[in-house]
Amino acid sequence: MNLQNRGTTINLRISAFLLLSGLISDMCSNPLFAADNIETRGYVISMVHTASYADEQTCPSGTNGSRPDVLIRRVMADGYNREEAIRIINNVRINGGRDDAGNIVGTAITIGGGAAPGGIQSWNGLDFNPANIPGALPDPNAFNAEGRFSFGLNLDGEVGLDSWEHPNTGERGIDNQMWRVLGCWDNYHVNKPVNPYNETIAWDTAVDAMPAWLISISGEDLNQDGEVTVAFDRALNIPLRDAYGSIMSGASFGLDTNPRSHNVFAGRIKGRVLTIEPGDFYIQGESQFYPHLRFTNTQLRFELKDDGSLEGHIGGYQPWRDYYHYLSVRGETDGMIDLIGIFYDLKRFADAAPDPATGENTAISSAYFIEAVPAFHVDGKGSLLAESVGAGPKFSGPAVSQYSNQQ
Amino acid sequence: MMLICLLANILNAAENNERDGNTGNNEEVTFVRLSSDQYRNTIHDIFGESILVRGNGSSSGVREAGLMAVGGRRLTLSASEVESYELLALDIANQVLHPSRRRTLLHCAPQNEKTLDNECAAQFINTVGLHLFRRPLSKNEVDAYVEIARSATESLSDFFFGLQAALVGMMVSPDFLFRIERSVPNPESPSTRQLDTWSRASRLSFFLWDTTPSPALLEAARSGELMFDEGLNQQIERMMTSPRIEDGLRAFFADMLAFDRFDTLDIDSNLYPRFTKNVEDEAREQTLLTIADQLLNKKADYRDLFDSRQTFLTPALAALYGVPIPIMQELGGKVPWVPYEYPENHARVGLLSQVTFLSLFSHPGASSPTLRGKAVREHLLCQLIPPPPPDVDFSLVRDTDNPNFKTVRDRLTEHRNNPTCAGCHTLMDPIGLALEVFDASGVYRTTENGADIDTSGQWAGQNYADANELAALLKDDPTLTSCLVHRAYSYGTARASTPTEVQWLNTTHTQLRNEGVRWRELMHRISRNPDFYTVPESLIMEDE
Repeated sequence: MNLQNRGTTINLRISAFLLLSGLISDMCSNPLFAADNIETRGYVISMVHTASYADEQTCPSGTNGSRPDVLIRRVMADGYNREEAIRIINNVRINGGRDDAGNIVGTAITIGGGAAPGGIQSWNGLDFNPANIPGALPDPNAFNAEGRFSFGLNLDGEVGLDSWEHPNTGERGIDNQMWRVLGCWDNYHVNKPVNPYNETIAWDTAVDAMPAWLISISGEDLNQDGEVTVAFDRALNIPLRDAYGSIMSGASFGLDTNPRSHNVFAGRIKGRVLTIEPGDFYIQGESQFYPHLRFTNTQLRFELKDDGSLEGHIGGYQPWRDYYHYLSVRGETDGMIDLIGIFYDLKRFADAAPDPATGENTAISSAYFIEAVPAFHVDGKGSLLAESVGAGPKFSGPAVSQYSNQQ
Repeated sequence: MMLICLLANILNAAENNERDGNTGNNEEVTFVRLSSDQYRNTIHDIFGESILVRGNGSSSGVREAGLMAVGGRRLTLSASEVESYELLALDIANQVLHPSRRRTLLHCAPQNEKTLDNECAAQFINTVGLHLFRRPLSKNEVDAYVEIARSATESLSDFFFGLQAALVGMMVSPDFLFRIERSVPNPESPSTRQLDTWSRASRLSFFLWDTTPSPALLEAARSGELMFDEGLNQQIERMMTSPRIEDGLRAFFADMLAFDRFDTLDIDSNLYPRFTKNVEDEAREQTLLTIADQLLNKKADYRDLFDSRQTFLTPALAALYGVPIPIMQELGGKVPWVPYEYPENHARVGLLSQVTFLSLFSHPGASSPTLRGKAVREHLLCQLIPPPPPDVDFSLVRDTDNPNFKTVRDRLTEHRNNPTCAGCHTLMDPIGLALEVFDASGVYRTTENGADIDTSGQWAGQNYADANELAALLKDDPTLTSCLVHRAYSYGTARASTPTEVQWLNTTHTQLRNEGVRWRELMHRISRNPDFYTVPESLIMEDE
């Protein structure tokens, strides 16, 4: 399809879109966009969450449970037995967290909320939130995921002792240390169709207010195997919902011209599976969970589904403090985890980007599940940049059209 | 409930009323109930846009001669509707006479807010009554409403509550809820009768603007100039050049295109997940925006509505239609309407391919070529399709999973083998089958149950391959434009046309068809036609 022809010159009286010109000219100067025989398909990301996989081998010693289990363990660590701990926790809103003798229990049940100022609670008589300085508390030594399988990608091209095997493809050498950190928390210890609760709720809430995240794939014939270019961008508008509450496919999205969230990768399609050459990735979000998502050595593996959607995983080395930030902003109650334990485990399992000064790794291999549905991408001049190609008959015109200027 | 009792008194008072000299010898000839839109427009025009009209007083009307406007003549008020109107009036009166607003409407101040100020109350009733009743109130009427105000003031020792009661009384009066048209002898032809000056103002205003007469029009009525061509034409010109002409156009097409069906529209969102409530609301607006833009802004021919590629879309509508639009919506901002033009040879052109028509004439879970074809015949061509006989077996037509009849064309073809059904279905189905590429929600498709959809057919002996070709044939059919001309006239008079009027309409149609069937010209011609203000003998006889 000829994208140059599609971009029929049309006057568009939308001042906001004038800002787009920089990016669009950049995109149009890309040989891929200028070629006559290139088709570009657009998508909007409809779901993102940590790639989770759990079987009987994942947590052989049991899971870490959820928020109540965290609190019980903390109270017990202060010298109470389980029954006493449960009684103290159950009565916390009545008596302020006192034991049977009327003593304030202190640290054990006061850690919660988030890392934000609103989460400040007293700790041993001080206004102090340990989530802000997690290293001030001892490592609770939470259980970590083990076993053979995990979703993810082979980031270093090697099959190491700490790598996993992909449960669907059988590929070995999957690097996903993030899963070791998260996999034994009940919140994450799930398989499709159940998603990690905390992240799903956060995404579902944020998606109605956050500029959408877009993917486009360009190539000569996207129905065939071949070389392609894959781009990720941030949109100017939010997704629409259909009657099910799902993200509506076939909607139009304007591209945010800020190059900060513009990512381009060389890729290929083979057997309806999309992969890319590794590279850096950054996309700005606005959600309470993902203020941004960034990786180095980014890879992905997306299936091109028959209904026109994409589904798969993206991953790379992610600054582990990013993930700690995601969780601590939402707090332990929403996250249903032990922030202190997560902090120590993220630090422990970080496997990339060593700090030159300390030698400590600052990034951790991780993987996220991505689902994206077909969408149109348009520029500020009303030109079509990417076609929405769904399961139904192709029906869109060759170009976005305006006639307001003729009135 | 107190006001219900008062209503009876008011009605009695009205019956015993002697009209002012200005309307002497007047005979009431037509009662047409205000539509809910007309009620809302009237309240906003009289009391301001800030007054909230929370609800509808009446149930849906009835369609007669193809129009709800004509059916409005047949409507009365049930007890429950009177009660609904009373509640609505109470709410509105409470807002109108709220301390923050009363000064804008009340040009006098009571000497004592705890007792009735006769003069101030009468002034308020006279002023507001003129606009609510669309004519001056007689002295007896004013006295009756002042009496209501007195009684309520004394009960609660509050002058403004007294005015509220009087206002509610006027707003539940038939003189407000119905457009009561009155006639006077025609001086040029004493054996015939014509609308009096106030009724002319109402007819013009509801016809052209879908609302109560403006102060300027009422002043023209008071001066008597509406009874003469020059004065009447001046007012028509003034109204035709106002942007409010769009309100009249919207009201007419909402009636003609059966938008009342939106009240009961129930497209199954399990089967058609793109058809959200937002889409439904936006589809309605899309159709009206498109018509208004074509007929008023672009001065297009009515026929162009059926093959125009120009329309307006929102993001949700564009997603349903499967087309890209530029994004103008700011986060949290108003839903944008984007002017959009389909490319050449696009399958979706004209009104018949819009979600409004496609969904209004579908079943909740399936498209219906029969309903769509019937709608074209009845609403656009003014033809009448008789109802199906009572003993028809529809089971095959509804068996959408039948492997032997994968498409609705297959099922309807089989259904037409029944000679009882064939007569009408032959008229309806071919039109609707051309639109089968659009499902019940308006989404484009090319197959049904895996089988290719055949959109071909014949119209007036000419073959068409698809909906676009059918639209071109319809556009050339004189029945299409004739229907518009006749419907527009009946919409204005709220009755079927007389033989004399039909003759005039046929002549006008022929002329317009040659010159261009343009909305403003049609409105001009109808509004200037003396017969438009003449009372048919049949109505006088009905009244007698």
